[in-house]
Amino acid sequence: MTGRYFGESVLRLEDAKLLTGRARFVDDVSLPGMLHVAFLRSDEAHARLNGIDVSAARARTGVVAVYTADDLGDYWQPGPLLVPPPPIPGLVFNTATQGPLARDKVRCAGEPLAMVVAESRYVAEDALEDIVVDLEPLPAVTDLEQALMDGAPLVHDQFGTNLAAWVHQTKGDYQAARAKAHRVITRRFAYDRGIAAALENRGIVAHWDSGAQELAMWDTTQAPIPIRNGMAEFLGLRESQVRVVAPFIGGGFGPKIMMFYPEEVLVPWAAMRLGRPVKWIEDRRENFFATTQERGQIHHAELAVAKDGTILGVKDRFLHDTGAYDPYGLTVPINSQCTLLGPYVVPAYDSEFTAVFTNKPIVTPVRGAGRQHGVFVMERLLDFAARELGMDRVEIRRRNYIQPDQFPYDHEILFQDFRPLVYDSGDYPAALDKAVELIGYRKFIKDEQPRLRREGKHPGIGIVSYIEGTGIGPYEGARVTVEPSGTVRLSTGVGTQGQGHFTTFAQIVAEVLGVEVGSVEVSTGDTREFHWGTGTFASRGAVVAGSACHAAAMKVREKILALAAPLVGVAESDLVVAGGAVHSRGDPAKAISLGDLARKANPLRGAVAPGTEPGLEATAYFGPDRGNAASGVHAVIVEVDQETAAVEIKRYVVVHDCGTVINPLVVEAQVQGGVAHGIGNAFYEQLHFDRNGQLLNASFMDYLLPTALDVPTVEMDHVVSPSPLNPLGTKGVGEAGAIPTGAAFAQAIDDALAHTGIEITEIPLSPGRLFELIDHATGKST
Amino acid sequence: MIVEGTYALPGSPEAIWDLLMDPEVLAKAMPGTRRLDRVAPNRYEGTMGVGIGPITAAEFDLVIEVTDIQRPLSYTMQIDSKGRFGFSRGTARVELTPDGAGSSMRYRADLQVGGKIAGLGQRLLDSVSKMLLRQGLEALHKELTARLT
Amino acid sequence: MHPIAVVVNGTRNERSVEPRLLLSDFLRHDLGLTGTHVGCEHGVCGACTVLMDGQPVRSCLLFAVQTDGHELQTVEGLAAGDQLHPLQQAFHETHALQCGFCTPGFLMTLVPFLKDHPNPTEPEIREALCGNLCRCTGYANIVKAVERYAEGLSR
Repeated sequence: MTGRYFGESVLRLEDAKLLTGRARFVDDVSLPGMLHVAFLRSDEAHARLNGIDVSAARARTGVVAVYTADDLGDYWQPGPLLVPPPPIPGLVFNTATQGPLARDKVRCAGEPLAMVVAESRYVAEDALEDIVVDLEPLPAVTDLEQALMDGAPLVHDQFGTNLAAWVHQTKGDYQAARAKAHRVITRRFAYDRGIAAALENRGIVAHWDSGAQELAMWDTTQAPIPIRNGMAEFLGLRESQVRVVAPFIGGGFGPKIMMFYPEEVLVPWAAMRLGRPVKWIEDRRENFFATTQERGQIHHAELAVAKDGTILGVKDRFLHDTGAYDPYGLTVPINSQCTLLGPYVVPAYDSEFTAVFTNKPIVTPVRGAGRQHGVFVMERLLDFAARELGMDRVEIRRRNYIQPDQFPYDHEILFQDFRPLVYDSGDYPAALDKAVELIGYRKFIKDEQPRLRREGKHPGIGIVSYIEGTGIGPYEGARVTVEPSGTVRLSTGVGTQGQGHFTTFAQIVAEVLGVEVGSVEVSTGDTREFHWGTGTFASRGAVVAGSACHAAAMKVREKILALAAPLVGVAESDLVVAGGAVHSRGDPAKAISLGDLARKANPLRGAVAPGTEPGLEATAYFGPDRGNAASGVHAVIVEVDQETAAVEIKRYVVVHDCGTVINPLVVEAQVQGGVAHGIGNAFYEQLHFDRNGQLLNASFMDYLLPTALDVPTVEMDHVVSPSPLNPLGTKGVGEAGAIPTGAAFAQAIDDALAHTGIEITEIPLSPGRLFELIDHATGKST
Repeated sequence: MIVEGTYALPGSPEAIWDLLMDPEVLAKAMPGTRRLDRVAPNRYEGTMGVGIGPITAAEFDLVIEVTDIQRPLSYTMQIDSKGRFGFSRGTARVELTPDGAGSSMRYRADLQVGGKIAGLGQRLLDSVSKMLLRQGLEALHKELTARLT
Repeated sequence: MHPIAVVVNGTRNERSVEPRLLLSDFLRHDLGLTGTHVGCEHGVCGACTVLMDGQPVRSCLLFAVQTDGHELQTVEGLAAGDQLHPLQQAFHETHALQCGFCTPGFLMTLVPFLKDHPNPTEPEIREALCGNLCRCTGYANIVKAVERYAEGLSR
């Protein structure tokens, strides 16, 4: 579908508010009589909570209430298991979710111990110092391998183990594949933790209107509807008594889809008890502990290849750090497990993982959600195989691609949406060719690299390929209403954190209804406006919610035609919907504006014909059969200073395929932003926990986010393989930029330093770490 | 965090042993001590105020248990400090050997640090602890000298 | 409590404040100017950047009492009613914002920079921006916005 808006780089409708500082974020909400919350958090990563004395805090002027676990009574319960494990045979899963305030035991630094509610945040923080806590430290587990050894301290005593889950998925016969392999490449890979670091921290404002018996919440959540439903249940209210608004959100990236955080559950409860609005805004330091994070995994992987580089099979055993609790199930490691297969034909696959409890913050999806680990392992194995076989890195990938005529392609294992991992469409060779062309791979290898090397420089090139599963269900919905003024109102349940939904969804509807895109007003993330749906995550907004918007607009279009035909006096097939009106194809002067039509459709007198509905409004839902497969190729040229380990990015190329593109400007910006995020994860960002579970770099001074000096402008090209799984043919793109970046860097740096024999098998690579690795490699080779 | 080294003190081990166990002397040796009491034969409790990096004048509670006493040559301290800044705890071993008219004190502390000070003060922990230690040893030396003469 | 008088976006404000009240909190909650955002409260991310006597400052690292007698400008002072400042217009045209949380900080950093450097090169632009963090955009379009503005293409 292309036309006036769909597929066009429409400038964003939401910009003016954001640019002038008038957009409302959660901390901008101010209500009369509002109280402020501060949480006392554990400094210990693992400890018995023997007692807590809040009497002095309660006595402080300006403090209205202080709550501990005991004060919650029956309201205290462990959080829900948000994503149950998929139905994989033999799967083991130990459910452990966090209570809102610590009781008996603290399992990671930052766990909330008490909640102070006061007239101001300043006073609330003062009161934290009045609280006396008796924490008896216990030995902590932080190392994944040690956590599984006999005698390791237990995070959850009731399981008798730190094993949180065990999953084994196979296809084909790996042992047979290995037996006939020309080479078996075996390596250990490690990927480590980072935070999402949205610029806006989390926050909640809750207001109980006792007159109306209604609860209103403003929440930085990516999932306002599930939050509404859950909070209604926890608080003993009807769903219709609770309104959750996710206003403008300053970046999501995943942790804001974690639901029923302790603070989310406690702030509304306090608001109801105290009869005053209550606000809690997370500060940056809290964010390092209290907001979920991602990425620690250790893989022992093996690739069996034939002499010509054909993949015969892959075996992978990995450990996944789930942190102190596992409320989000196995989404992240299953993504790792599935995404490893990538765009390749892998006849035999044997993948087993163990999720491990540690005394560190909870792990839930962060942009990429486990896909990067799979990509890193596979791409690195292919690189090492290519080196051993004397093959070109691009060739080995091309040789193993699933071909364009092999779709739908069934990998025969289960994906995070509980559906079989089946790729819908793609053209991997085309993307590779474009990337090779755009980065000038051949010329670089043949001419530039040797020339720069003669000058004493160390240039390297990396080119990697990946799949990103996007657009999973269960469903989203939308309601389109044409108002008598001619404005079209579009309401949908998904929230927005900067993806441009106010514009891209408007484009979809404007296209169908033939109106100006600026006349479509979009409401997102307000449960009073729309209350069926799940949320913005897993690169599914455009696919699922976009498709629902399309479906609803199409229904309205049908109503327009049915209503207008008799009024204009022609058959429906002779009508044209355009320019905010509907007119006769043969005689354009016979027309009626959509606004007038809407008015006519809602008469004060006369009957609305049986079998029709008043107005020009329709609600529709879309639930895809399964997720689709976006894909792409990243290529990077770097120069490494061998003395200082400084890495300069010379060029970064992305060729991506997200199916039909709704708004190229928005899509390219998502890729650029994703690459920046990926560069951060690959090279600058790492959470350093000591062996006692203490985070040693809990601020932006020491947790380094990339700046404008560290991120190049990405050069982009596209391949379009429309998805047959939704009417728009579109696929997600929100996480794409961040997924293969680590693998691309690793390959490029190995290439730059090939003379040292270095092999990068870990991410992130801080400048300091790379220095050590170079030292180690050059020590070995001399 | 490991802090270790040797330091020359005036007076033989026998001469200074009791002074090293005296809370008034100890209070002088630890910069920022606001209060230090011997609450039991080998247990000291007190309050300190120190600054590291962006956390200034943080007050914290300190408990020291002295164990493994081999008078007058060595002892071990179990140190436990806790405050708004976070916590620090661990073990310190102190050994005295006669050195001419004085003593050579050998010390080694293995401390776990947590909370805000661990998360925000890393780049300063090492240098500040060395500085505080040096200040403390100098103050201890001065105090011992004064008391012995 | 201390009385202070500070001119913000041309309007004089007299208030009585605690000495420890951060300027960012004063602007956002006492004066209701919520366009200035708080991202880290330790001076690294730049989201809280405002102008004090024409110079960019981190409002999270200043106390309100330190602004007594001074002139401040926040993002709310850039646009003229409904008419966007040309720099804001340039941001819009190059899609230089996604979630928009960091955007006021970037704008307030750029306003004095562009006054002093009306024709910056790309490296100069990137260096000027390196004190402001953005997690969404990857900076490319922000650089384009500045170039567009400098070329006088946005009105």
